Amino acid sequence: MNNSISLESLFQIHGFTPNEGQLDAIRSLEGPLFLMAGPGSGKTRVLLWRTVNAIVFHNVPPERLFLSTFTEKAAKQLKDGLQTILGTVTNITGVPYDISRMYVGTVHSLCQKIIGDRRFIKNRSRVKPPILMDELDQYYFINSSSFWRLTEELLHVKEDIWRSDMKQYFGKRSESRHDTALSIISIFNRFSEENLPVEKIYDYAKSKRDDTLLKIAKLYEWYKAKLHSDNMVDFSLLQQRALHQLLESEHVIFEFEHVVIDEFQDTNRIQEQLFFRLAKGNKNLCVVGDDDQALYRFRGATVENFVQFPQRSQLYLQTPPREIKLNINYRSKKQIVTTYTNFIDKVSWVRESGEGYYRLHDKNIQAFKQDNDISVITTTPSKSEDVAEEIAQFVRKLIDEKKVEDPNQIAFLFPALKNNQHVKRMKRALEKEGINVYAPRAGRFLEVEEAKAMLGIFTKIIGRPARQDFSGAYKDFHDWLDVIEGEAKELIQKDERMERFVAVKTEELKRCKEDYIRLLKTVSDNGWTLKDNYVPQSHKRILTKTPLISQQTIRGLGSNRLDKIIEQRNKEGKPFSLQYILNRATSVDWNVLDLFYRLCGFPYFSQMFKLAEDGLDEGPICNLSMISEYLSRYMEQSSSVITGARLIEDHLANDFFGRYVYGLFRIGETEVENDETPFPKGRVPFLTIHQSKGLEFPYVILGNPGKKNKNVPREEEIVRPLVEGDNEPLARIPEFDTMRLFYVALSRAEEMLIISNLRGQGQTVEPAFKQLLEEMKYPQIPNVVVTDMPKVEVKEDEIPKVYSYTSDYLMYLKCPRNYMVFKKYGFVPSRSQTMLFGSLVHQTIEDIHNQIISLRGDRNE
Amino acid sequence: MNNDEMLKFIEEAFEENYELLRLEGGHSLSPHVKKMALEQVKHYWKKLRNLAENVSDTEVRLTLPQQKTPSGKYYTIQGVVDVVKEDDRTVMYDIKTHDVDFVRCNKKDYEGQLNIYAHIWQSVRGQHLDGTSIIAIGETEELRKAKQRASQANNEQILEEALTEWNPEVPIELEMEQVDAYLESFGEVVDMIEGFEFSPPPVEKLLSKVQDNKTFAVHVCRNCDVRFSCESFKAYAFSSSRAKSNFLAFYDDYGTEHERVEVIEANLEEEEV
Repeated sequence: MNNSISLESLFQIHGFTPNEGQLDAIRSLEGPLFLMAGPGSGKTRVLLWRTVNAIVFHNVPPERLFLSTFTEKAAKQLKDGLQTILGTVTNITGVPYDISRMYVGTVHSLCQKIIGDRRFIKNRSRVKPPILMDELDQYYFINSSSFWRLTEELLHVKEDIWRSDMKQYFGKRSESRHDTALSIISIFNRFSEENLPVEKIYDYAKSKRDDTLLKIAKLYEWYKAKLHSDNMVDFSLLQQRALHQLLESEHVIFEFEHVVIDEFQDTNRIQEQLFFRLAKGNKNLCVVGDDDQALYRFRGATVENFVQFPQRSQLYLQTPPREIKLNINYRSKKQIVTTYTNFIDKVSWVRESGEGYYRLHDKNIQAFKQDNDISVITTTPSKSEDVAEEIAQFVRKLIDEKKVEDPNQIAFLFPALKNNQHVKRMKRALEKEGINVYAPRAGRFLEVEEAKAMLGIFTKIIGRPARQDFSGAYKDFHDWLDVIEGEAKELIQKDERMERFVAVKTEELKRCKEDYIRLLKTVSDNGWTLKDNYVPQSHKRILTKTPLISQQTIRGLGSNRLDKIIEQRNKEGKPFSLQYILNRATSVDWNVLDLFYRLCGFPYFSQMFKLAEDGLDEGPICNLSMISEYLSRYMEQSSSVITGARLIEDHLANDFFGRYVYGLFRIGETEVENDETPFPKGRVPFLTIHQSKGLEFPYVILGNPGKKNKNVPREEEIVRPLVEGDNEPLARIPEFDTMRLFYVALSRAEEMLIISNLRGQGQTVEPAFKQLLEEMKYPQIPNVVVTDMPKVEVKEDEIPKVYSYTSDYLMYLKCPRNYMVFKKYGFVPSRSQTMLFGSLVHQTIEDIHNQIISLRGDRNE
Repeated sequence: MNNDEMLKFIEEAFEENYELLRLEGGHSLSPHVKKMALEQVKHYWKKLRNLAENVSDTEVRLTLPQQKTPSGKYYTIQGVVDVVKEDDRTVMYDIKTHDVDFVRCNKKDYEGQLNIYAHIWQSVRGQHLDGTSIIAIGETEELRKAKQRASQANNEQILEEALTEWNPEVPIELEMEQVDAYLESFGEVVDMIEGFEFSPPPVEKLLSKVQDNKTFAVHVCRNCDVRFSCESFKAYAFSSSRAKSNFLAFYDDYGTEHERVEVIEANLEEEEV
């Protein structure tokens, strides 16, 4: 305990005046705590200060704290805040705090940490942590030719019949491999998230004579076994693996003194089990959330985890929780708050039994700002085109009259961005007004200009797969290839140097390919095979005499250095094969990332860097960064070296475009969430409501006041009979989820909320909105004077940023541009050493030190 | 734990850290760069085993909160060091992934850093300190050459000898009266970062010598993947008329012959067909 400082004095130093509920939550550390935090109620600060209270005033060692956040960004923010406040404490009291061993991060990264941490392993032995397959890896794994072959063998069914089965079973529109793979992935993940034993699925399927489910279970069983034997996990199995490990030894239940879970309404069943397990010993489990903001059912989240927390706490911890409400909204103007609290009550939440509610009632959310300003307006009720135009002109005026400092303070939120005609119209209307939009997820990412141009030029260099006579998505993909090829052609024509560069690269690949074919002929003419061991004395001379091969290839075959290495390897009994030697002789010096960085040097791309350097427009550079990430992923999946063998029969073009880029193209159709969306300066962001979770914007424009596609999710139907629990009725799910979705959207706005009042054919408008607009009679845009609109400035971050001397200050001083590209925008380097390089080296050296320190400790014992 | 066990431990820990960092940051390293990183750690162990075995506090986090930039923004400075206490002497080390020649030539940069850290350690935390040093474990020119010779002559001994010769430690003097000036300069940089100022350094800086006879352009820019799109680097590279007429050479820079072979060797898989 520190006598020299108090929590109050720290509040004062850091300029924080908590309200009653906040203070209560910060001080309540004993036992289970049920923290209901409405929108904008300052829960991040509460979590931060509650952690400080535990560490500083209750002497809880940071490594005994487990704090799970929804995104890595939120975790980073908390860590930064802790560094700052604990730094203040250290400088006053001299007591140092090291939070590097604190468990703070997303559930996934915390699970990964648990698995590798001796604290949670029986006998504290060392285990090899599994390799993680992320969503993209999992997709390529399931939608791979080997998986389709395996399916046929395992299930004794022809692939096309299987796919048509799956189409029907999941009620999909298509039976393509892509759609089938997505169905399989979604149900596999759901099984894992529900922690369902395979036997249980089998038993149920048998009892219902559900043959398809039986087959799916069989595949799932194989999938789990396969991943297990390869020591791999997907995101869902990662959690299962962590839970199983925790169930193996009893001491783990006391390892954490405090377990704190943010966004608890969006946790799934296996996560709930994990958290209760970790908190079982000390019972200090704090859950924070808001059931009205539950959004992630499609990832297996069950809002009941939150709504029924009091009962579950009683059940698992034998203790009812303390309940605290954070119900004062600091974010939004008063009318915005009344709007969303009013909205959520437009449907009945009364339980089927007539007793109680499916949501937590009596939230009593209050606006802190007691203004009487108009802060909610609508468009003139009209059809999509007119609404888009009216909004675009309104936004133009806001920018012209300097109501915002940057266009990125005006956010457009949509229930879905893909396949949404109104989104396209809205984007066009804004662009017509000269306003840049950042909406990489509005179509496919591959449709953004930067991706089309870059990959278009790639088709010119490495070639593209030939079009075959298929329709559907395959045809769309080849149409896209045609488009990017055409655009690349134009770009190249306009830039004479680029044209020559492309020609040279194309020529290099051609040379490698032809030389490889010639060498192959020499191999077969001499009766050798590619698997033969390479012996320089017998092979080298003959290979170099191959007719017509280039000087480069001869050099590649010939160095003395290489001969010496080979000699050594032969002595060691590890000879090279002829194949290896051929590959080596016919490879180019560059990989796809090298090519990317060189192409960035031509004016079309380099001006995008310039825009960012000058702080004018960050949109294009964010997209280029994403491309570097995708290219590096490709290099991880396949080999990074381009060899003659990979060039024959268009192997490279088929693998890169036909498999990898095609996969990206298909995935790009789905609403895959990209949780750390950037909001580039200079652009108006278009977000899905899901992406806007946890964020706030001065101006919010709700793009669609209704959601199409309101079916009960199929995975939900399949899984429901297999799990126990008192859940929301299946039939009400679409309605409830839609209400929650729009509740989140409406509560993102700080100063002004603009609701698109769409009418006409093809427009879905929620009955709740109809009713709301009818009742409230909000002013419409033509009746609003822009000059009276609130003027907003870029807000200071609540929590000061943490800068490092080496990786910020020195890196910036060395070269601000390099800092920008690699640190700020996260480009994946091909050859340069970056931050990640440094962290990796330092982290591993730290492990060496710790290992030595712990060995020293063992000796002393 | 014998040497082989430690090397095995290093490899495993390295892999594990890579996976975790990738998960947290969402970014990856190319296979070649990843290999270089592992090599550095191994060199550290081989060379500085003695130091490593005396570390009393590893990764000590030093924080200086509530700093204010000239434009009035609050920020926090954070740094991480290792502390070794041996025979009543306390020394603070910072391990760098740069090579030691570079650090010696640019000692000034690190003086600022270690003086700020020492300030936090001594004045703010009130702890004793006898000295500070940089440990630069990046591959030096000599090591690179020795590695090349070792592989050409197929004689590991050459590399071992070079490792013995190699001295990665650079002591940094403490001058506490300078700390305020260092902090001031730090704040200015924070303002520039938050003010979106990211222009590359001017051509003159590229032509300045940073190490031995090497210019900034050769030492820093040549290792930077985004040099091709950099106005300053282009101005530097195309300053002669000969270069102007042969722009292809500009894009054709994949390092020395040796480096190119190394990249292929590191990345070409043997079983690949």
